[in-house]
Amino acid sequence: MKIMVAIKQVPDRDAQVRINASAKWIEESDLQYALNESDAYALEEGLQLKEKHGGEVIVVSAGPERVGSTIREALAKGADRAIHIVCDDIGERDALSVARLLAAAMKPESPDLVLTGLQSEDLGLGQTGVIVAELLGMPHASLILQVEKTETGVTVKQELEEGWFQTIELPTPAVLTIQSGGNKLRYATLMGIKRAKTKEVRQLTATELAVDAAPVVVLERITLPKKQKSTQMLSGTAAEAAAALVQKLKFEVHVL
Amino acid sequence: MIVLLPTLAEPEHFSMVEKFLLTGLVAVSAWTFWHRFGLVLDKILKSKKDAGFHLFPIGKRVRDFVWEVLCQAKVVRERPLPGLAHAFVFWGFCAFVLVTLNHFATGLGIGFLDSAGLVGRFYFYFAAAFALACAVGILGLFVRRFLVRPKWLGEKLSWESGLIALLIFVLMATYLASFFVADGGLAVWILWWVHTLALLTFLPIIPHTKHLHLVLSPATVFLSRGGFSSIPALSGDEDFGLVAGTDLTQLVSLQAYSCVECGRCTEHCPAANTGKLLNPKEIILGLRGYLNEYGPAAEEPLLGKYNAQQAAFQCTTCGACEFQCPVGIEHLPIIVGLRRGAVNTGAWEDEYGSKLFLALERGSNALGLSASERDKFIEKQGLPIFDGTQEYCLWLGCMGSYDPKGREIVVALARVMSYLGVSYGVLRKEKCTGDSARRLGNDLLFQQMAEANLEAIAKSKVRKMVSICPHCVRTIQEDWKEYGTPPEIEHHSEFLARFADRLPKQKVEEKIVFHDPCYLGRYRNVYDEPRTVAALAGELVEAPRHRERSFCCGAGGGLAFLGEETGERVSQVRTAELVATGAQTIAAACPFCNTMFRDALAARGEGAPELMDIAQLVARELPRSKDNFCSGP
Amino acid sequence: MSGILVIQEERGQGRNRFSYEALAAGRILAGLTGLSLETAVVGDKNTPILAETSGVPPMTAYAVQHPQLKHYTSDGYVLAFEQLIRKLQPAFIVVPHSYQSRDYVPRVATRFGQVLISDITGIETGPTFVRQLFQGRMNGSYRHPGDGPCFLSVQAGAFQVDSAQGGTTTILPFEPEIPADAVRARPGEPFRGSSETVDLGSAQRIVSVGRGIKSAENISLVQELATSLGAELAASRPICDNGWVPMERQVGSSGQTVSPKLYLAVGISGAIQHLVGMKGSQCIVAINKDPDAPIFEVADYGIVGDLFEVVPALTEAVKGAGH
Repeated sequence: MKIMVAIKQVPDRDAQVRINASAKWIEESDLQYALNESDAYALEEGLQLKEKHGGEVIVVSAGPERVGSTIREALAKGADRAIHIVCDDIGERDALSVARLLAAAMKPESPDLVLTGLQSEDLGLGQTGVIVAELLGMPHASLILQVEKTETGVTVKQELEEGWFQTIELPTPAVLTIQSGGNKLRYATLMGIKRAKTKEVRQLTATELAVDAAPVVVLERITLPKKQKSTQMLSGTAAEAAAALVQKLKFEVHVL
Repeated sequence: MIVLLPTLAEPEHFSMVEKFLLTGLVAVSAWTFWHRFGLVLDKILKSKKDAGFHLFPIGKRVRDFVWEVLCQAKVVRERPLPGLAHAFVFWGFCAFVLVTLNHFATGLGIGFLDSAGLVGRFYFYFAAAFALACAVGILGLFVRRFLVRPKWLGEKLSWESGLIALLIFVLMATYLASFFVADGGLAVWILWWVHTLALLTFLPIIPHTKHLHLVLSPATVFLSRGGFSSIPALSGDEDFGLVAGTDLTQLVSLQAYSCVECGRCTEHCPAANTGKLLNPKEIILGLRGYLNEYGPAAEEPLLGKYNAQQAAFQCTTCGACEFQCPVGIEHLPIIVGLRRGAVNTGAWEDEYGSKLFLALERGSNALGLSASERDKFIEKQGLPIFDGTQEYCLWLGCMGSYDPKGREIVVALARVMSYLGVSYGVLRKEKCTGDSARRLGNDLLFQQMAEANLEAIAKSKVRKMVSICPHCVRTIQEDWKEYGTPPEIEHHSEFLARFADRLPKQKVEEKIVFHDPCYLGRYRNVYDEPRTVAALAGELVEAPRHRERSFCCGAGGGLAFLGEETGERVSQVRTAELVATGAQTIAAACPFCNTMFRDALAARGEGAPELMDIAQLVARELPRSKDNFCSGP
Repeated sequence: MSGILVIQEERGQGRNRFSYEALAAGRILAGLTGLSLETAVVGDKNTPILAETSGVPPMTAYAVQHPQLKHYTSDGYVLAFEQLIRKLQPAFIVVPHSYQSRDYVPRVATRFGQVLISDITGIETGPTFVRQLFQGRMNGSYRHPGDGPCFLSVQAGAFQVDSAQGGTTTILPFEPEIPADAVRARPGEPFRGSSETVDLGSAQRIVSVGRGIKSAENISLVQELATSLGAELAASRPICDNGWVPMERQVGSSGQTVSPKLYLAVGISGAIQHLVGMKGSQCIVAINKDPDAPIFEVADYGIVGDLFEVVPALTEAVKGAGH
């Protein structure tokens, strides 16, 4: 099975994000980056499928030079080779433009399966994978936790809501967006890092792929949310506090 | 004047037949010895060279050799009675070298010690004294092994040990008896030949049994890697730790063949004592078994037939085994080496282990919490940020940054420092030191954490550091050296002890039992300082196992982050021991010990002793005014 | 280009709130732009959600019907709504941000050369649309400057369901063309996560008990609360060590790591071993008699009090709320 996994480099979860001078994006200097979490699960799913059924895992990532470190991490974890779509203007592109880049890079490879994470930790748009499916003319399924190979395609387990799941059969080639938590991730190893040095990373540019950057939606500005999370203490008698809590759970948290 | 005393009798004449026979027997004996010993030596020498091994400076090696080998100090100190018995056997052997050489020389007619001469006489008496002690010693050891049978010597009675004991006894007995028979008679002839045959039987047994330690362990002690639990740097692109036979270094192989199977390591091992698979003795014997079957050039994985992966990952790296070992085996580099081999190649699959590694890969701490939690803590407590002007940089560590209990310790220490007028600050950002990654054998992660920290610390102009965590202290001071020059760091017990006379002595009738953390005691050799500090708060009592023999809390070696233990929990065993002292307070000096005991005490329910860090013990007597709370002088 | 099309989802009794919220967002947008509001839902004219929102603007509702739409599939919905949007030519399409909409709407948007502005939490003049970035650490304001329809999905709970206004709703049928081979995926019946084995990891609600419970007999008190909430019972390590709660229900560093929507910690002080196992929970409620207990640091809601009073009161209150 030829599996392509689209991965994204995002600011580290622990990184302190600050608004930059233009107020349109965050200050990128001094920022630490990491592999997007659900993409790590997509990669893991790809690697496990390869280990079970043979084939090849190719990671694809779009972004500036710094993305190279995340690509190497994916290679270290076991991907066979990589395509790096080098573009410095990744921040100005919307999901459609990024998906076009990815699809253009993937198409000539004719993959059997395309995996992406469900959504990114920075923008959280949650649609790049679905758009790639549309652009490649492949069927897709999203929010996937498990993938089984079948004679003609794949059977996947999709997460619905509130503890419900559904099984879907899809013919391949297909695109799956992978939800976090379906597999156990593997850790990076010294051996993996050393082996990754010899693996192929092909660099492509947006110009070569003939995808322009003009966005259809624009992120005009970013702001700090008004209130940070804090603990609300509920006082009164036991009965009063209990009643207040039930109200909160019902109308603020929507869990009742 | 010495005419009254009997002299050592010797046969007067040896026939040519006897001389030929003797020469032949010696040759057979020597050949049988070499046949096996040469093979062992070959396996050791054909093992990989130890990169980074230096014979010099040699002074410490000589000192250790004299103290541990010649004086038998470690053997005696850790097990006084059998140790002394062993020492007598050992010293007896030393004294016998000359006697034995003379013995064979006499057989060939070229004896050089004259039993009638002054020197010979004196020396034979000298040797006789040792022979007597040796005979008593070996008898004692025989009784212990075959009648008392302590469990760490193993379930199986070893016939070879019995035979060896018998041979040694025969050697001594025949020697001593020779003082009481006449020169040249049949009796002396029989004694002489029995002595000879015993010697010639003894020699080939040595390399075939654990008595190989007679020959190897002096070398093992002399050639030790040095330092405690010192984990060697990986060398080259294909070194991932102890994966296969090809990764066994000469020192590891030498140690594997040196093991005398005394079981001291097992006796003190927290894992072996709580029903785990791990038995440090079996790890070493496993390597020996591997070398015997496959040899040092084999690609067969080390974790397989002879050693179990599960066992390697049950080690708390408390170091009791390495500390106890009388023949210089360095267990920790071996156990950590086996882990390195498994982790660096991805062969170790463990849910909790992966979770820990992923948390460290992506975040700043072993607990997988957001770094902003640390920021919030610093802000809430008003801890000053280190800016280069303060004297000390207070290193928080993962536990001090995120663990509610660890935070209390940090706050207590900060109060004491303010009270003492010592300026300090905390770093704006900290990453885990990589202790758990290091001990679990994840070199990639450890390198990343060490390098990131070293770089950040270099920028921040830190000169002196102090930390509440012995694991941080050890890792920063020793393990980071592989990747740069670490700052000077000390444990807060050392810091506080220096100021003991300026800290209030508390007038409370409280019994306090101090638990020695492994990474402070055995790893850093700090035993008195925390006691000095704890003694300010009450009356110190000792647990049965303390100081060098302290029993682990169960958290080390990354095990605090792994899943449930099999068998008994180490923390509960240790807690029961501490509670049994009757102390009202358990004093800890490590946030990991603290967290382990906290759970174990909680499970005991009401009436359990209080658990406090030594910093908290000191701080409880300090004025609580806001002025000297974390504000600095 | 005219109008705002709100696509609702029929999920059955009591589970349609996020569709009403999408409708509420549509109304705010209508107020800002002066555009008219229409709605659509897959189903016939008797689809309950149409009856529930009857008489409330929008006044025109499309019942999208086709045999191929009986079960949700991305291919079927993409075709159906592509055709409806081409027919109605709305300026804005508003959908609830659900597992369905995030599955098919981006594909529909792509067919119009558009991008879905997903998971919005606010609508401001312009109009600009506010959504969270960096997992809630930032807000971003998005604008749709170009031609063509603007696709929006609405975060659950972000818009208040507003009060009804009088009027009548016209329900119009819409029958898209969906070729027999257009639907490539074959979905199975939805199923619940297995309930035989304890899987705290996928539990939606967890009530967890700690040392404050004092004795084994008192566990039933907490069990009752868990039952009334439809929650799984869990415990901290000392409780499991004592055998008061089975070991497989231990939450923490040596037990399970959980991330439910609701984590209610009863009598748990919050040792680090416990915190690392539950810190990912969406909403944490702590009941503890010690106001300084570390658990309150991570809690969203806290009650300082005697659990032996608070827990029974809470059980009653939950039952009273008809859960």
